[in-house]
Amino acid sequence: MNLNILKNKQAKNKFMETFSIFIVLLVMIIICSILNDKFLSSNNITNIMKQLAVGTILAYGEMLLIICGMLDLSAGAVLALSGVMSVSVFKATNNLLLAVVVSVIIAVICNLANAIMVTKFKAPAFIATLAMMTVARGIALLYTKGQNILQIGKYNVFGQGKIGGVVPVSIIFMVVITIAIWYILKHTTFGRSLYAIGGNEEAAIASGINVVRNKYIVFIINGVLVGIAGVLFMSRVNAGLPNGAVGYEMEGLTAAVVGGTSFTGGVGTTLGTLAGAFIIGCLNNIMNLIGIDSYIQQIVKGAIIAFAVIWDIRSKSKKTSKVILVDEDPETKGTFARKAS
Amino acid sequence: MVLLAGCGSGNSSKDSSSDSSKKSSDGYKVAYIARAQSDSFAAWLANEVVAASEEYDDITVDVFDGQADDEKENAAIENAITSGYDAIIVQPNNGEAQRPYVEQIVDAGIIAITTNARIDGIEGASSVDADPYVQAAVNAKLALDQIPDGAKVVVLQGPSGNFHADERRKAWQKEFFDKRDDVEIVGEQIANWNKDEAVQYMEDWITSNDHIDAIISMNDNMAAGALEVVTGKDEYKDILSYGVDGTAEACLLIQDGKMTATCLQSAIDLAELNLQTVHDLLTGTEKQVDTMIEAVLITKDNATEFVEMYKERGLLDE
Repeated sequence: MNLNILKNKQAKNKFMETFSIFIVLLVMIIICSILNDKFLSSNNITNIMKQLAVGTILAYGEMLLIICGMLDLSAGAVLALSGVMSVSVFKATNNLLLAVVVSVIIAVICNLANAIMVTKFKAPAFIATLAMMTVARGIALLYTKGQNILQIGKYNVFGQGKIGGVVPVSIIFMVVITIAIWYILKHTTFGRSLYAIGGNEEAAIASGINVVRNKYIVFIINGVLVGIAGVLFMSRVNAGLPNGAVGYEMEGLTAAVVGGTSFTGGVGTTLGTLAGAFIIGCLNNIMNLIGIDSYIQQIVKGAIIAFAVIWDIRSKSKKTSKVILVDEDPETKGTFARKAS
Repeated sequence: MVLLAGCGSGNSSKDSSSDSSKKSSDGYKVAYIARAQSDSFAAWLANEVVAASEEYDDITVDVFDGQADDEKENAAIENAITSGYDAIIVQPNNGEAQRPYVEQIVDAGIIAITTNARIDGIEGASSVDADPYVQAAVNAKLALDQIPDGAKVVVLQGPSGNFHADERRKAWQKEFFDKRDDVEIVGEQIANWNKDEAVQYMEDWITSNDHIDAIISMNDNMAAGALEVVTGKDEYKDILSYGVDGTAEACLLIQDGKMTATCLQSAIDLAELNLQTVHDLLTGTEKQVDTMIEAVLITKDNATEFVEMYKERGLLDE
């Protein structure tokens, strides 16, 4: 086999792996704009982004955790807990900054508890965060006696306010967080170490990476993200809803997985997750715009998730297959084994 | 403040026999199986049941959570039977799923009441409920005169298969849509009683439609969510919106002129009527009771009265 042909094929595979999700998104946008002429209107694009903000922020947390071989099933419940506590603090103090800080602190505390269960007691993240999901939801309901907190005043500025009367605050949060997460993953040692931990934890330990510390940090970052999402969510619905955001962790997980984050760990990108969130968001949006029945919406969403997971499994199986090559190039002639990209 | 007599359409049969009294030395023990303590209305009702029981020296109420899960709710009923309660009040998650278990209560010789929603046709079981059809119908009849000719409306539905969600939608169909061919439904989705889901649907609907004249919602939570989206938009300042439940938030919105009408499904009245019924059954005053609270229409004319009620209950700020 000619090495150049192989290299071209590898380059093509690499390109497809990196950009396929964006191609899917682009195709989806084109189809949606054909289906409804208002899809690409500025109002609708703003709507989609506002609707995506909370889910995308949660998706980044899930992505970081999945990359290093964990996940968070408690995100929706912790969001509800931190959100209602934040609303209560705001009602008591009228201090927006304090309300945000409280939300973040509570979500971080919950995530530290998750981290302790996972690292110190070696509980699987699935079980640890499942337990936290129940505890956090229970505390939120106990604290509010199951009732919505109303009359929250200016608290709604985060979810409904606009900078300069044009750009929604929630979108600003999403953009800033996207940049921050992208930078952390792409340009910090910590970010790169997450891939190593998720790819092979024992190898990561052997290479000197402090796995336990990094897992704590990932959970703390997830807590910060969930806390911010809690503020945005409660602000958007203009109430403290202790029973709100049920199943939102699944929205985050779905966006991450559709965006190419692999449940086997060690794989995932910020922009891929953002694209995944947009694919889900565009899908929800266009189905509402053209009036597709709720039941069919569920089927379509489920099919998309199944498609994404199958795509992921197939691409990973290709990636890990060993290709034995006999190089016919006279300069590098020899037999070698390498991973196909 | 008691707003309703609360038993306008009750049927009961009296039994003065003292044999039917089940009082133990510690008074009567009543189990209340809530559909889901995470559901704000169900939680409110459970809280009010406990509050109402304090008016009765001879009754103690223990609340159990069905967690919106048929299996868990059925297990809670079985446990209550085994624990020897004198009466069990069941707020079903799914009437047909709980039916055999409520029949078990009756078979065990324990007083059974189904509430919000009742399970029909169980011999020996009583019921205390609000009629979801009537609750929506009072809104629909009002809307007949209020919604303009050729109007475009959106409809927010409750969870599929939920008795109250289905009956309310049925009432809107029969009492309004069947009589108003000129009205076009430009969007209809299941928002599962949730405010956040309603927000998202409404954002999309105002994008895909040039104008929407009315929001028809099967509960107040979803109506409030949809209204959240159009609040402050001049082109929607006259939008009409209808809900059901008479929540604190809806009463405030109606008082402020942002929402049109709702029908009160008062947890306070339901709770008081449940306790009155269970007491009558336990003491042998009644043998079987099937009763309903009234469907009170709340509009701008009387919203303040209900806002004050919620303030007194601590559910709204003074």
